[in-house]
Amino acid sequence: MANAPSSQAAKPTPPEDRRSFFTAIAAIVTGAIAVVTPLLAGVATFLSPLFRKNHSPTVRIALLSQVPDDGMPRYFPVVTDRDDAWNRYPQQRVGAVYLVRQANEPTPIAFTAKCPHAGCFIGYTAGDDEFQCPCHTSAFKLDGSRENGDNEVSPRDMDKLPVEVREIKLADGEMAQEVWVEFINFQTGHKEQIRTT
Amino acid sequence: MSSIVRSLVDWLDDRAGVRDLVNDALYERVVGGSRWRYVWGSALVMTFMTQVVTGIFLWMAYSPSTQTAWESVYFIEHEMTGGWLLRGIHHYMAQMMVILLAIHFVQIVWDGAYRAPRELNFVIGLILMLIVLGLSFTGYLLPWDQKGYWATNVGTELASQTPVVGADLKKVAVGGSDYGHHTLTRFFALHAGVLPALLVGFLVLHITLFRRHGLHAKDPNHGPDAMFWPDQVLKDSVASLGILAAVLAFTVWEGADLMAPADAANPYNAARPEWYFLFLFQFLKWFPGELEIWGAFIIPGIIVTVMFVMPWIGRSRAGHLLNVTLMVVLFGGAAYLTTQALYDDNFAAWSEPPGESASEGEIKAYEASKDFIEAKKDAHYEALRVIELAQSPAKIPPTGALTLVYDDPYLQGPKLYKQNCAGCHNYVDEENPDPRLTSLVNEEPSAPNLFGVGTRKWIEGLLDPEQIVSAHYFGYQGSPFVGDGDNTDMVDFVQESFSEDLDEEQRKTVQAAFKKVAIALSAEAKLTSQKEIDAQDADTIAEGRALIEGGLADVLESGTSCADCHTFGSAEDIGSPVLDGYMSRQWLLAFLGNSADEQFYGDMNDRMPAFAPHDDPRLNQLDQKSLELIVDWLRGDWYRPAEVVDE
Repeated sequence: MANAPSSQAAKPTPPEDRRSFFTAIAAIVTGAIAVVTPLLAGVATFLSPLFRKNHSPTVRIALLSQVPDDGMPRYFPVVTDRDDAWNRYPQQRVGAVYLVRQANEPTPIAFTAKCPHAGCFIGYTAGDDEFQCPCHTSAFKLDGSRENGDNEVSPRDMDKLPVEVREIKLADGEMAQEVWVEFINFQTGHKEQIRTT
Repeated sequence: MSSIVRSLVDWLDDRAGVRDLVNDALYERVVGGSRWRYVWGSALVMTFMTQVVTGIFLWMAYSPSTQTAWESVYFIEHEMTGGWLLRGIHHYMAQMMVILLAIHFVQIVWDGAYRAPRELNFVIGLILMLIVLGLSFTGYLLPWDQKGYWATNVGTELASQTPVVGADLKKVAVGGSDYGHHTLTRFFALHAGVLPALLVGFLVLHITLFRRHGLHAKDPNHGPDAMFWPDQVLKDSVASLGILAAVLAFTVWEGADLMAPADAANPYNAARPEWYFLFLFQFLKWFPGELEIWGAFIIPGIIVTVMFVMPWIGRSRAGHLLNVTLMVVLFGGAAYLTTQALYDDNFAAWSEPPGESASEGEIKAYEASKDFIEAKKDAHYEALRVIELAQSPAKIPPTGALTLVYDDPYLQGPKLYKQNCAGCHNYVDEENPDPRLTSLVNEEPSAPNLFGVGTRKWIEGLLDPEQIVSAHYFGYQGSPFVGDGDNTDMVDFVQESFSEDLDEEQRKTVQAAFKKVAIALSAEAKLTSQKEIDAQDADTIAEGRALIEGGLADVLESGTSCADCHTFGSAEDIGSPVLDGYMSRQWLLAFLGNSADEQFYGDMNDRMPAFAPHDDPRLNQLDQKSLELIVDWLRGDWYRPAEVVDE
C-alpha cells in the first residue's frame, strides 16, 4: 500500500479538450511537413521528364538523286545529334525513314520506320510489294496504307513525315538537292497521329 | 563449454526474448503432419532470398548507364570469377519464381484456401505476384542488350497507350521521351530498391497472416499432427534444393544469354518478351486497330480484378467451382497462346515451305517465321562477335560496346554490302558456304562474285579459261566482257593463252606461268591472310612480277603480256585497270569511290556505281568510314582472337 500514492501521482491527468486538440493538430502538421518535404523534393525530381519539352529535329536524310522516282521505298537511317541526359552524342542514328518517290514527282514521301502499333521497326525487303512489321504482323502497302484496313493490327497507316527539298550550293559552285525530313516521334496505338512532346 | 553457450543464450533471451522468437518460428503446428504439398510457399521464400543475395552481388558489379550497363554485365558474365554462375542463378531463379507462383496460386484456388478468414492474405499474395512480375519486367531491360531493349520498348509503348495518362506515364517510367541513361537508372531503382522493399513489406504481412490463421490443411486426418521443425522444414529444404538443382542445370547447360548491346538504330526483329509474358504478346495480335486497349488493358485488367475478388466469389460451393473453372480457363488459355506464339515464330524450322496452292496468308506466315529464325540467328552471331571483340586486348572503349559494333568490318561489312552491293554482286564461298552470310548469295548476279577477292585462289580463277567466263567472274548476266560484248579483250587473252592448238607440254608451261602471275598479283593486295605465304614465296613473286611486266610475252603464243594493256611496275601509263596495288586497301577504296575513273575501268565500266566520286562528302552515296568497312570486310581484315594467341 505504501506504493499506492506514488503510482497514483504518476498517472497523467487528462488534458483540457481544447489544448489537446491543438496539440494533435500541431503534431500532425509539423510531423507531416518534416516527412512530406523531402518526399516532395524526390517526387519533383522524379517527374522532371514531364516538365521537359522535346522538339522534333529536322534532319538531312539523303541527296534527292539517291531516291529514284520508281515508286520503290528506300531505307535511310536518320542521323542527328542526340541528347541523353548529360551526354550529347553527335551525329547518331536515332531512327530510320523510308523515302518513296513516284514517277516525275519532285518530292519524295517519307515514312518513319516506327510502327504505329507498338513502336517496332517496320521492315522492307527490296523488291517486295509491302512493308512488314516483325512484331505483331502488321503489313502496309507501299503507299503506307494498311494492307487490311481497319482489320490490321496497326490502328493507323504508316506515319508520314514532313519533307522538304533544299537546294545547296557546293564549293565548286554547282547546285545539288537534298531531302530533309522533320523526324517526329508519334505516339503509338491511336487512330490519329499524336506527337510525343 | 555448453554452459557458456547457455549463459550467452540466457543473456540474449533476457534482453531480446530470442527463445520465444525461435519457438514461434519453428514450432508451428502442422495439422495432419508434414506434407510435400505444403512446400511451395517456403520454396518461394527461398527463391526470393536467392534473388536478394545474388541480386546484391550483381549490384556490386553493375553500372546502370547506356555506356556501361551492357559492358558491366558482359564483365560479370565473361570476366569475373564465377560471374556466369551468379548471373545464371539470378536469371533462372527469376523464371523459377514465376513458375512457383503459378503453382502456389493454383493450389490455393483449387483447395479453396482463400476462404474466410484468409481472404486478405490471398489479396496480399496477388499483390506479391504483381510485384514479382514487375521485377521480371524491369530486370529484363537491365543488361541493355538488343533483346531486353526491344522487348521492353514494346512494353513501355503499350503502357503509353493507357487511356488519359499513358503518354506521361511512359515519360516518367522511361525518364524522358526516348530510352537512355535515365531509363536504366529508373528501372534499376525499381528493380533493386522500390519493388524489393515493397515485396519484403508485403511478404512480412503475408507470413504474419499465414501464421495467424495457421496452415490450411487440405486433409487434417492425413496423419498425426507434427511441428514445422524439423519435419516440414526438411521437406521444404529438399524442395528448395531440387529447385536450385534445376536452376543450376539451366545455368550450366544454357547459361544466361547476353545479346549484342542495345542499339536504337538497329531493331532486333526477333525481340520477344520473356516466355511467361508471351501469351500477352500473342493476345495482342487478336485486337486490330484501336481495339488494342482491350487486349492490352481492359481484358487483362478484368482478369486481374476477378482474381482479386475470388475469395468472395468462392464463398459458396458454386462460386468456388466457378473460380476453379476460371483458373483452368485462364491457365489453359495462357498455355494455348504461348504455344501459338512459339509455333508462329518457329514453325518454318521444321515444316516445308508452302506449296503452289498455299494462300497468301500461309505464305506470309511462313515468311514471317523464316525472318524470325533468321533474325535470331543473326543476333546470335552478332552477340558472339561483340563478346569476342570485348575480350580483345583493346577491350571496350569508354564510349561503350556499341562503338565496337559500329567499327567492326566483320559485323558492318555484310550489312553495308547487302545494302549497296548485293543487288548485283554475288558473295558465296562455293566450297564452304558461311551460314551467317546466306542472305548475301545472289542467284542471278550481274557482276562478279566478290568472295575472297584478291586472294591467290580468286586471281587463279580469273586467269582460268573456264572460270573466267563463269558467272563468278565475267560470265554474269549482261556482261560486256564475254561473247559478243564490247570489251572482251581480257577474256579473249586468257582463253587464247590456253588455245586447243597447244600440246600438253606447252599447256603446262602456260599454267605454271599463270600461276606465278596469280601469286605475284595477289601479293599486290597485301592481304593479312596471305602475309606469311607472301613472305615465303618472295622468289616466286619476283618471277611473277617479271612475267606481268613483259616476260609473259615470251611464254604465250600471242606474244603479249599483262603490261601490254595494264599499268604495272615499270610499265607505266599503259592502261587500266592499274595492277599496281591491285585489290589492296588503297586500290579498292579508290575503286569503290569511282570505278569509272581513268585508272580503273574508264569507258569500259559496266554499271558499277561510283560511291564516292566527289570531294564534297555531302554528295557521296557512301562516306569514307562505310567504304573502309566494306573494303576491310571484303579483304578479310578484321580482328581475330586466334591471331593474338599466336603472337
